[in-house]
Amino acid sequence: MKMGLISKIQGYSTKDGPGIRSTVFMMGCNLNCSWCANPELITKAPKMFYYKERCTKCGRCVATAKNNSIVMTDEGCIIDRDKCTNILDCSHCCFFDAYEAIGYEISEQELYAKLISDRAFYEKSNGGVTFSGGEPGLQGEFVSNVAKKLRGNGIHVALDTAGLIPWENLENTIRNVDAVLYDIKAFNRDIHFQHTSVYNDLILENAKRIADTGTAMFIRMVIIPTLNDDWEDICKRIEFIESLGQSVKQVDILKYHNFGTGKYIRLGQEYSLNDLPALEDDFLEKIYKKAIDSGLKASIGG
Amino acid sequence: MTLLSFIPENEDCDFARINKMQKKMNNRIPTVCHERAEIITEVFKETEGEPIVIRRAKAFAKILTNMSIYIEKDSLIIGNQASKNFAAPIFPEYSIDWIVDELDEFEHRSGDFFNITEETKNRLRVLQPYWQGKTHKEEVLKNLPSANRLAEKQGVLHRGGISMSGDGHIIPNHEFVLKNGYGGILKIAQEQLTKENSQEQEDFYNAVIISMEGVLTYIKRFSKLASDEAAKEKDGKRKKELLNLSKMFKSFMEGGARNFHEAVECIYITHILMMIESNGHSFSFGRFDQYAYPYYEKDLKEGNISKEKALEVITHFFIMTNSLNKIRPWGHTQYSSGYPLYSNLMVGGMMPNGRDGTNTLSYLCLEAMSMSKLPEPNLSVRFCEQTPHNLIVDAAKLIRMGFGMPSMFCDEVVIPAMMTLDLDIETARDYASMGCVETAIPGKWGHRATGMTYINFGKVFELAMNNGYDPETGIQLIDLNGKSGSEIEYKSYDELWSAWKKTLKYYFNKAVVCDTVCDKSLKYHDADSFASSLVDSCIWRGKTLKNGGAMYDYVSQSNIGPSIVGDSLAAVKKIVFEDKTLTMEELKEALAKNFEGIGGAKIRQLCRKAPKFGNDIDYVDLIVADVYDSYLELLPDYKTDRAGCGPIGCGYTMSTSNITSYVPNGFDVGATPDGRLAGKPLNEGASPCLGADTEGPTAVINSISKLPNKKIAGGQLLNMRFSPGALKGNENIEKFADFIETMKEKNIFHNQFNIIDSETLRAARDNPDEYKDLMVRVAGYCALFSTLMPEAQEAIINRTELSF
Repeated sequence: MKMGLISKIQGYSTKDGPGIRSTVFMMGCNLNCSWCANPELITKAPKMFYYKERCTKCGRCVATAKNNSIVMTDEGCIIDRDKCTNILDCSHCCFFDAYEAIGYEISEQELYAKLISDRAFYEKSNGGVTFSGGEPGLQGEFVSNVAKKLRGNGIHVALDTAGLIPWENLENTIRNVDAVLYDIKAFNRDIHFQHTSVYNDLILENAKRIADTGTAMFIRMVIIPTLNDDWEDICKRIEFIESLGQSVKQVDILKYHNFGTGKYIRLGQEYSLNDLPALEDDFLEKIYKKAIDSGLKASIGG
Repeated sequence: MTLLSFIPENEDCDFARINKMQKKMNNRIPTVCHERAEIITEVFKETEGEPIVIRRAKAFAKILTNMSIYIEKDSLIIGNQASKNFAAPIFPEYSIDWIVDELDEFEHRSGDFFNITEETKNRLRVLQPYWQGKTHKEEVLKNLPSANRLAEKQGVLHRGGISMSGDGHIIPNHEFVLKNGYGGILKIAQEQLTKENSQEQEDFYNAVIISMEGVLTYIKRFSKLASDEAAKEKDGKRKKELLNLSKMFKSFMEGGARNFHEAVECIYITHILMMIESNGHSFSFGRFDQYAYPYYEKDLKEGNISKEKALEVITHFFIMTNSLNKIRPWGHTQYSSGYPLYSNLMVGGMMPNGRDGTNTLSYLCLEAMSMSKLPEPNLSVRFCEQTPHNLIVDAAKLIRMGFGMPSMFCDEVVIPAMMTLDLDIETARDYASMGCVETAIPGKWGHRATGMTYINFGKVFELAMNNGYDPETGIQLIDLNGKSGSEIEYKSYDELWSAWKKTLKYYFNKAVVCDTVCDKSLKYHDADSFASSLVDSCIWRGKTLKNGGAMYDYVSQSNIGPSIVGDSLAAVKKIVFEDKTLTMEELKEALAKNFEGIGGAKIRQLCRKAPKFGNDIDYVDLIVADVYDSYLELLPDYKTDRAGCGPIGCGYTMSTSNITSYVPNGFDVGATPDGRLAGKPLNEGASPCLGADTEGPTAVINSISKLPNKKIAGGQLLNMRFSPGALKGNENIEKFADFIETMKEKNIFHNQFNIIDSETLRAARDNPDEYKDLMVRVAGYCALFSTLMPEAQEAIINRTELSF
């Protein structure tokens, strides 16, 4: 049986598709968006959060970490994550929860059992399960197998993907879900590359292919001030979405938030977008109106 | 003013005035009033030797004749409990020593302070000598066995209000009062008096007559006052209202209520009168939308009222219920901070015939609460399969406003729970919550569906771990291995489990003794003819409630900390008996030292990582369910003092309604194997331990669903906290309404919500003046956050915030 690497299952998810949902956060991603709110999910490997505020400076992690990779300072621990080969041991050695291991392997059966326990909530609210991440498409076979079981029991399944997966791999996953939440981060391939480290040719191509399968699509357009808020590009995105036809059920215009900042700190990483200007609500309204005028159903905030 | 869903079509409801009244009531100032205390002392001196029920009736009547009365500016609902808005009357007959002892402290309390003048202090001090040896509290203390006192000293048992105040905890038969009026009830008593009666019955009927005459006098006084005020009033609209009130009160409730305004006024006056007669709390309104609806419907048909006017009357009524007050000793205040009166008012749910009873008034009560935004009445909503989705959506919108109301009761779970008692299905379907989450049949139930002796489950567990020996006080009342001292060897989980059951049974017995001692004393001290005459079948049986006048009579104690015990048992089972990571000795040593030092921290970490209730983990959830069962299985063998006196039942039920007691009860419990530090709060109601639920709200519901909720006829309490963002916008409200409706699939008795983020709560703690109107769900009731004592504030901040 396949094992999946996930960070968590979030019950009562209200932003990842219709109704009350459970969202499974899968680890590993093949994009590198500068605004990513889930940096712990970018590489497909367990991570360690370090909470400075919980640290009692007892020094046990310093003694545990190999290669002298943790140094104690007045400000708490400085961790050299490249040098440290046993950082996961720190979550066991710390008695004060200053370390939290993120990411664990789970079997298809176990994940299915956890998800099915919220069935009554899905049924009452026309909700279901969403596989998100990270890029769940990278663990496509695992996702497909769990999705099959869920759908076999009448549970609605959605896939939240950025779509950068060869179609021969992605297709099978798409065919095993009821809906796709599809990110379109930019239309211009250079803008896309600049902020995500990849070009979007395959992403746009796959969007068409998914639309052709007739699977319900919820397009997610996250708007990051100064990065991908070029009006002309936004218009092109909307035109493209419109061209996908009837499969598109809704466009969700997502306002950028910086709630992920804390996670960067806990991972010992720099967050590069600290000084972004705030996005005007009027601007989101303008995008909304453009989408509506193009005949799309739209929402602000998803 | 934004309403939940109602769109007014005329000017009949004066929203600006409501706003003004709300603001004024929000800034109410608690004071102490000596009038009642002086009058009852005087009457008791004059009536020595007469039957108690008569003496109390005479005192009641004289209070109503002589107390100060006033009409609250702007209000369409009038009537007052004490000389000033939010002044607490004093009830020396229950207990007076603490009052005199604390007179100089009232103004300086860290929560629930009271302003008091030197004159009032002096007037109260001089009353003290008369009551020496005559109060309820002294009677209780005289009869309480020494083992009970020691159990209290250990912190296992707590007597709460039952040994120092009246009983309260009833829902009068408002339908009966509205139909007959106080005059009608007086006539029934007179007719009953003409029959052949025992001395007890004759005294009771005479007392009812004296009480009702007093009530009618009180009413007439308002007629005159309203006309006097009308003469002085310059505003034309208000003048007209006062003249109307004066006319209404001329013959008010001599017979049945004549219109909707009168009906609501009567419901309010009945409530006030019960709270002048005796100082219990949790006098509740029951199913307001059901019994008030015929009066609304009739007025509407006859063109005498609009929906808007009805909304105005209900809102005034809601606001005015906050003018009442009760003062408690500091020791008891810690258990119930925030000036609560727990006057529950319920709407929605099934009618006795099984059909949905939702009507216009159900919706209007939600709208009224969205404007009154004050702690009373404690608004509850019943729902069932047939309940209109719109009512749930309105309730969800009200919940989103963030002050904790309404709390939600699921008929599909509560009705089967009620039927575990000797009720037929039609009767069970008529349940209402009373006080916090306690359930009773309105107008037919004796006092105290809950709130008898409090049992600190956390402490019972600590004692079981220590062979019955209390490490804190050194008191040992039982041992589990035949030897004294804390040494005991547990070789298996089963042995520990038996020890828990044995210890629980021992203290349950003690708690029942305490209940009985208090009950026996209250037979005398709570011989209340007015309140009794409003509950079936006292008036026909000729008995007070405490003597067995009610049709049904069930009580429950309050059990604090089942989740702490379950989490602790699970931790011991896993760490000591299964994984064998620690020995029992090592664990006990760490607990004794409150997990101090690095060694303690290591053990605490193991404890904290053991499975916790609230995360949908069978391993621990089923152990918590065992803890409930261990208490439930004790109940059938016990009866109350009223068994054989008339009421059906007279047995015990279980309830997890425990007000703020989970905070002070925690003070008495050392560190526990779930990783909780000594002195920290226990869990609240049936909710998971503070911060233990990490998997979101559906996991909490899944865990609670495994408990024997359909057997907890005394009320099962669940409190959840959501972040405001989770309920933003219409789509999220729909999802939240669906979440609530799923309760019936999930075996959830009751659920209530705080919608507030931790940041706001912390800000309110640090800057109370800026957050004076911040109301939160404390336990089964709501209170203004700024009035809570610091420990209770912390406990609320530490409840898991569920955000997504």
